[in-house]
Amino acid sequence: MNNTGFTKDPYKEKIDKLDSKKIRKALQIFDKRLLSDYAAFLNSCVRCGLCADSCQYYLTYRDVESIPAYKINLIAKVFKKYHTQAGKRISRWVGAEEINKAVVEEWIDTLFGRCSLCGRCALNCTMGINIPYIIRTARGALAEVGLVPPGLQSTVDTAIQSGNNMGISKEDWLETVEWLEEELQQEVKDSHAKLPIDVKDSKFLYTINPREAMFFPLSISAVGKIFYAAQESWTFSSENFDVTNYGLYSGDDVASGEMSKRLIDSLKKLNCQTLVLAECGHGYNSNRWEAPEWLSQKYDFEVKSIIQVIADYIREGRIKLDPSKNQKRTTLHDPCNLVRLGGLIEEQRHILRRAVAQFVEMTPNREKNYCCGGGGGQLAMTRFADRRIKVGKIKADQVRQTGAEVVATPCHNCIDQFMELNKYYKLGIEIKTISEIVAEALVLSDS
Amino acid sequence: MLEILRFGVILSFCISFIALCHLIVRTYFFNKKPVFAKSQSRPIKGIFYALGKGMMPWEKESAGRHLLTYLGGILYHTGIFAAFFYLFMLVISHRLNSTVVFILRILMFAGIFSGMGLFLKRSTKSQLRRISCPDDFASNLMVDVFLLLALTDSHIFRFRPLFFAVAIVMFLYIPVGKIRHCFFFFYSRILFGLFYGRRGVLPQNKGDLGAENE
Repeated sequence: MNNTGFTKDPYKEKIDKLDSKKIRKALQIFDKRLLSDYAAFLNSCVRCGLCADSCQYYLTYRDVESIPAYKINLIAKVFKKYHTQAGKRISRWVGAEEINKAVVEEWIDTLFGRCSLCGRCALNCTMGINIPYIIRTARGALAEVGLVPPGLQSTVDTAIQSGNNMGISKEDWLETVEWLEEELQQEVKDSHAKLPIDVKDSKFLYTINPREAMFFPLSISAVGKIFYAAQESWTFSSENFDVTNYGLYSGDDVASGEMSKRLIDSLKKLNCQTLVLAECGHGYNSNRWEAPEWLSQKYDFEVKSIIQVIADYIREGRIKLDPSKNQKRTTLHDPCNLVRLGGLIEEQRHILRRAVAQFVEMTPNREKNYCCGGGGGQLAMTRFADRRIKVGKIKADQVRQTGAEVVATPCHNCIDQFMELNKYYKLGIEIKTISEIVAEALVLSDS
Repeated sequence: MLEILRFGVILSFCISFIALCHLIVRTYFFNKKPVFAKSQSRPIKGIFYALGKGMMPWEKESAGRHLLTYLGGILYHTGIFAAFFYLFMLVISHRLNSTVVFILRILMFAGIFSGMGLFLKRSTKSQLRRISCPDDFASNLMVDVFLLLALTDSHIFRFRPLFFAVAIVMFLYIPVGKIRHCFFFFYSRILFGLFYGRRGVLPQNKGDLGAENE
């Protein structure tokens, strides 16, 4: 790997072959996708640099390229050049720049490779500039001309082609649910316990992260057990069950909209009332907040995270928990897309205080939390993996300071990143979803 | 001569104001899209937060960590508003009492001091220099000179033509360069408040859960 983060590969060759026609196309898409709010933000940056130490990339590398103001000004330069009089006439004076191959290369390395779209910088910006959303818009322009780093693009492609980001076939999915159902029946000692599929008129349509089906089936069982205990009316869809939406990270609004629309189609087809999303930070942000915008559609149904559903069960007394069943000291990692960008802040705490014997907060927490480093599509972009692991040290240190043995996090991207951090920084922790912890603490009526 | 310059100040202010309004309106209608996702909290709460508590150093980490720069920024901008007020009073030929002039002088002095401090910071810190463009330095210097001349004018009358001339240049420059943020600051903060307010992130929509988690 050279110092720009690239190795000689087909992707690099694609960048080398960029012609002015493609660059113009990227610019057109950028102009088309750039919303009024973002145009206001791009007019606002005063380059005070106070955002620098809010970014985990800057805190790790201390280089100018990692300063959020630098990143956003890579985009603002181009915006000014084509959309402001000063930018057109006195470009150098106001820092405007034409889009060209060098700019595109820097966009790729910086906007994909030095940002997890966590939004911590936006919170700390003097002007309040929504930096991650502007970066996403620029990523979208690159997506349009095929310049999304391959790992991330292939995740989007797989989801579009097969209906889920792991390429799980319908048969495999049905088989998985079948054996998980048998496991559930054995666990709760009730042959009527179900993991329902395609049950029309259910209250909830529940979606999962396909990684759960492949690698973490226990988190699906855990939710099944919770629904069983609450005697909920719910179902999976046999066709569309993927809560993830990597289009949020590649910036491709069309693909993003398509992925979210599939879930809505299944919800309508099965006549369910509420779309319930598995523990997935970006899945929540995508389907709760962004999908209505991608689809230009107001929803006539509710979109909830499973975290909200569990918190409701506890409040309504529909499930009973025994925290003594989870004795290990537990801390909580706040996924950026769920908390800082999603507004789901207290529910997970409400749950954990009732499900574990010792709950301890990280510092900082809630909307001020640090990203684990796995967001923004970083987990899928292997070319930037070194950076991802290095920036994760901040989170690893936070975990160490709590003295926790268990890290709970309602996001599978975060879980994947934590698993790597656990190995690399020798944290010696267990990583669990909230549902898994709740399922362990559940007191079933017959036990 | 002074009358012509006084008229020039009024005219340049009007031009600047109209240009900034035009810029804001153009930006507002740039790919304007309605919002479809259902709000989780009242957006207005977010706006109040963004323009108030959300800028406090105990609320915003970047302000708390860089307290000196934060205070410098506040003093600088307070000084600028004081100088604008002073200029406005001169233009409408309203005589200020000595106490008000004394307060304005203190604010303008603090403004110059802070403005120069921020200029020095930008000039000496290599990373800050790298994210800056010539406009950043020029805008800062122009405003510093404006403040200096406002302060000088409050003591010595003979610099008034120069003070007015600099004010004219500055007003005409505002829509062109970085100083346009005097308008865009409020626009941006409101958008920030709307975004986080709708989502119930800021201020946090804690409800009964939040209270028990304190």
